[in-house]
Amino acid sequence: MDRVTIVCFLASYAAALALELLYQIRPLRLVRWLALAFGAAGLIAQTIFLAVQQPPLIWQYGWMLFLAWILAVFYLVGSVHHRRLSWGLFVLPLVLGLVGLGAAFGRPVDSAHLPSGNVLSIPAAWGIIHGWLLLLAAVGLCVGFLASMMYLVQAHRLRAKTLPGHGLRLWSLERIEAMNRRAIVLAFPLLTVGMLVGLVLMFQEHLSGWTDPRVLASAVLWLTFAVLLYLRFGYHLRGRPVALLTILTFVLLVGCIALPHWGQGGGR
Amino acid sequence: MILLAIGCSYKTTPVEVRERLAFKDEHLSRAHTELCAGFDCEAVILSTCNRVELYAGFVLDDGGALTQPRSPSPRELDAEFIAEFFADFHNLPVSAVRPHLYVHYQAEAVRHLFRVAASLDSMIVGEGQIAGQVKKAYEQAVHDDSVGPLLHNLFRHARRVARRVRTETGIAHGHVSVSSAAVDYVKQVFDHFGDKTILVIGAGKMGELTLKHLRQLKPRHIWVTNRSADKAQSVAKGCGGEAMPWQRLDDLLARTDIVLSTTGAAEPIVTRQRYEQIAARRTGGPLVILDIAVPRDFDPSIHDGDRTCLFNIDDLKRIREATLADRFKHVEPAEAIVQQETNAFLKDWARRRHGPVIARLTQDFESKRREIVGELLSKLNGRLTDADRRHIEGAFRLLLNRLLHGPITALTEEPHSDGGGHTLLDALRKLFRLKE
Repeated sequence: MDRVTIVCFLASYAAALALELLYQIRPLRLVRWLALAFGAAGLIAQTIFLAVQQPPLIWQYGWMLFLAWILAVFYLVGSVHHRRLSWGLFVLPLVLGLVGLGAAFGRPVDSAHLPSGNVLSIPAAWGIIHGWLLLLAAVGLCVGFLASMMYLVQAHRLRAKTLPGHGLRLWSLERIEAMNRRAIVLAFPLLTVGMLVGLVLMFQEHLSGWTDPRVLASAVLWLTFAVLLYLRFGYHLRGRPVALLTILTFVLLVGCIALPHWGQGGGR
Repeated sequence: MILLAIGCSYKTTPVEVRERLAFKDEHLSRAHTELCAGFDCEAVILSTCNRVELYAGFVLDDGGALTQPRSPSPRELDAEFIAEFFADFHNLPVSAVRPHLYVHYQAEAVRHLFRVAASLDSMIVGEGQIAGQVKKAYEQAVHDDSVGPLLHNLFRHARRVARRVRTETGIAHGHVSVSSAAVDYVKQVFDHFGDKTILVIGAGKMGELTLKHLRQLKPRHIWVTNRSADKAQSVAKGCGGEAMPWQRLDDLLARTDIVLSTTGAAEPIVTRQRYEQIAARRTGGPLVILDIAVPRDFDPSIHDGDRTCLFNIDDLKRIREATLADRFKHVEPAEAIVQQETNAFLKDWARRRHGPVIARLTQDFESKRREIVGELLSKLNGRLTDADRRHIEGAFRLLLNRLLHGPITALTEEPHSDGGGHTLLDALRKLFRLKE
């Protein structure tokens, strides 16, 4: 069990993606089953890894791996339920990207011990709630991001008048748009509440000030998200602009996670 | 077995002749009855808009006699007589009918039916209707009691072949009609249609067909508009829609989801400039425009693949061409399946027919073997061990199997020469003096 490393599931997901690509060229049932098998093997390996290592959510490293794990489940469930769709081609690169980013963050230097002071001093339950709310909001944003990518590809296919049934198999524009709408509608309240909990905890415990890059990046993320929702529901903006804004919000989310790490040179 | 397929199709016969040779539904029972009585055979008539074919056959028993009692004065099951039947039934001179008829006998007749059922002989290869028509023809014949063991087996097998070809090859994939291709494009944009509105502009013939397919999506509203209020009313009545005044076209375009445009206007009725004003008023989802009018009704530059998806007649025809090209790639594997199934059917039929002869032959040889081995063992009684006895018995059994292998294989592989003459079967009976 201890010998399961990030490379194990990263390689499995990469093999699954390669097979999904192969399936587009040679749509053989065996290739699809092999892709699913590699995806499932990756998920099992990642589950074992997370169960053994138990990286806390407060580390970007752990947070990314948990997020990737949820999306890997999303890949498997989606692939089984929507066998005719090119589902894996969209989800697996994101899973790989998140795992890769997690690996790039790496375990904090002082990973032998949980961060002391600012983390252990906050009320544990609220800290966990804060972490999970942000994680679930991130899942929503990831789904929105995936839907937006699918939307752009489908819109491109329609613009080019690609023959139905040729090339990638995707849902209709309407269904993809609905998937994006649901994802962002669920993600925004989670993000808002999660951030409010974080702010309260931060100021109560004097963890950091307004100039903290995490606070600033989170504020920008929240504002962008709010603008996206306003344009979508207040201004009835639909289609490609909404997809592009969702992608921007997702990029900001990744930035919010990465900025403190590379800004401060730490792993938390 | 004597099997014969005779008829005409779009490949050999002009539609005017096919129309005259077609069997109306109400005449099928009489035709089946007359055929069976006149030729003392089993019969199935397949009559569609693209072909009129008659499958007739009878089964000979092992001795070459007919299994069915013959009617007092039956005619030979021969192409010329069947052509006469065709002509008589439709009150036409034989000379006007016979040149159009093709005839397939025995294995070729089996293969022909399998190709027809698998839609390999259809005008549009891979179309799904013919399998249903073959099934219907068979069911009608069953209802008319004109089907015996041969055609029962043949038509059931044909259904299996059609299913195999459809599922194991891509010959039935995609849509080939412009109207169904339009639905394919619409489904790329919309997921559900219960809350959608279709606006029909104009009243072209092609529009009617496309609307028929769109109606199957069960939209919430169908609005019809036309420069002529009467025509709009008439089309609306025909499709269960609502006629709308032509003057409200912009308003309707701003509120609709799918547009089917099929006017005969010489100039585009919606220019880019006009459409931009309409698009600014739209608050709902995307708009799909199926512009199947020639000349086109909508400026093609309004298509953006996102909020406005415009497909014209050329786009729809591209689907048809691509589908047909795709289907032709699957013809070869489909033909291979048909050939394989033809051989399987003939082999199976031969096995059924030859089974009793093979059984008799084997029993006869087996009893002779036992007799000889028994005599030998009794002569050598007391001088052999149990192992010796087993070896002797084994050697004789092996000899018997090797002797019979040749004739039995030849008999089971004979189907193609099965012309009712029973040469090999008769030869075997005579050679081995098999009793009836």
